Amino acid sequence: MSKKMNKEIKIGSILLSSYLLWAVAWLIYSYFIRGSITAPYFPVTDMTKELVFPGSEGFILGTDIYGRSVVEILSAGLAYSLGVSLLVSLTSASIGIIIGYLSVTGSNIIKIGSDLVINLIFIFPSILIAIMVMSVTGQSFWGLVFALVITGWPGYARIARGETMRIINLTYVESARAVGVPELRLFLKVIVPSILPLMMVHIVLGVSGVIISEAALGFLGLGGSEYSWGAMLSIAKTVLLEAPYMVITLSAVMAGLIIGLNLLGDGLRDYLDPRKSF
Amino acid sequence: MQESLKKLGYSFFTMFIAVSAIFIVLRATPGDPVEKVLGAEAKPEEIVKYRAQLGLDQPILIQYKNYLVGVVTGDMGESLFKKQEVKTLISKHMGPTVVLAFISVGCAMFLGTFLGIIAGFKRAGVFDNVSRIISLIFLSFPIFSLAPILVYIFSVKLGILPVSEWSGVKHSILPLITLIIPLSAVLMRVSRNKLLEEAGEPWVQVLKSKGLSEMQVLKRLTKVCLPTILNVVAIQLSVVLAGTMITETIFDIPGMGMLLFEGIQNRDYPVVQGVIIYSTIIYMGVYFIVDFCNSKIDPRIQA
Repeated sequence: MSKKMNKEIKIGSILLSSYLLWAVAWLIYSYFIRGSITAPYFPVTDMTKELVFPGSEGFILGTDIYGRSVVEILSAGLAYSLGVSLLVSLTSASIGIIIGYLSVTGSNIIKIGSDLVINLIFIFPSILIAIMVMSVTGQSFWGLVFALVITGWPGYARIARGETMRIINLTYVESARAVGVPELRLFLKVIVPSILPLMMVHIVLGVSGVIISEAALGFLGLGGSEYSWGAMLSIAKTVLLEAPYMVITLSAVMAGLIIGLNLLGDGLRDYLDPRKSF
Repeated sequence: MQESLKKLGYSFFTMFIAVSAIFIVLRATPGDPVEKVLGAEAKPEEIVKYRAQLGLDQPILIQYKNYLVGVVTGDMGESLFKKQEVKTLISKHMGPTVVLAFISVGCAMFLGTFLGIIAGFKRAGVFDNVSRIISLIFLSFPIFSLAPILVYIFSVKLGILPVSEWSGVKHSILPLITLIIPLSAVLMRVSRNKLLEEAGEPWVQVLKSKGLSEMQVLKRLTKVCLPTILNVVAIQLSVVLAGTMITETIFDIPGMGMLLFEGIQNRDYPVVQGVIIYSTIIYMGVYFIVDFCNSKIDPRIQA
């Protein structure tokens, strides 16, 4: 651990942890002051206060077309977006690791089958898969998560397969095999810990990808909920002339989060593999 | 040659699987499209008649056969709402999407590769550092937030460019910029990193020690980077496709994205199915061509 943390990791983690703090603060606020995290979670509507400009009438960032405070819809959107993307990325990564491992050690049928499925999902434009899946599952939170996991796991599976192939023939894995470590234990205690650092990089970058895809679906009216930043942006764009501040604050907040994640991901990659850092 | 044929065969096979997957997924959708079209109060005999008209009363395998024949002959049935054949709807909407996608990919490839190679060549210089930060920022603004911001700056504040409608070159500038920026940013990063990776290889040292000028070395380096860049373009195509669709809905461009979007909102299944199938086929075709080109440029890549 003598390697120095690079600038990207520092800036990225500062940005990211401030967003996380913001989301946690919002959840605590909505749980204790509003009474529940989910039900009255959505900001209060007051039609008389629609499109108040930032800074006036006590609204720091103004209000939207339904008279909701922009600060509150941003916070609700942040909590939602982070929740969905973490859930999707962690699930996809777990599926990816398991399938990647099985496609190296499993029987030929698993190898060929997983290869075909991965290639197929890769070759399909992912937004079309998501649209198709959402049309089957309906537009709900779980439908959205399912759609994003389906398009997400093949990427992780490819990386996990490559890493497993590299590791599986190394001496320490071989010796673990030789002393008769059961397959499951080998997977959990030897393979997974060795793959994990590289997977972390891709999970961080994957989270930013999921945030964008989720918002894109929300923007097209296919999101799982109205908390989605994408859904808010599609409302904001209709009042671009009257209330440009909405598009600008929403985009800036979203971009800040994505920049933080991308910086952290890039920085971690350079940190883990300095050979590839330029 | 034989390898290319094998690859072509494999492409057709994946296309066949993909088309079948679309059939299965859309048939698995709960809810009867017929009831959706005719409404809840439709008489049972009307429903039966309409189902027969759509061929939905036949066994699933026959439906599947008809569906495959339809895909091959281009006959995708009729839109449930517009009373037009899906084929004619698609050919009407194809133009703007193809124009947008091709021009933006072309420009972004040129711009991104050019900037990336300059940045990589003068590594850690001022240009390199500035362009890295700018590309990071541009990558963090998804198309649907970039587009309204561009509209605000160029149409509302500066009043230079018109918004919406699809008539003439001037109207296509903003949508094109929206599509070109993120793709160039990606390609710039890729070409820069690939250039730096290759620059450390022994063959570059040999060229340098043979006394080739910087420009000559750069020319050869660029050629080596090309397949990687083309590959990323192919992978990014699905992003471009999604981006085009989103851009079309923002700028009111009557393209495939608009058609798909309306189709989803109206639950117009034949249209949705048609758009998805044709986009997939076009996408896979381009993917195959890119693969083929790569094997011609760099013989190390087996076709």
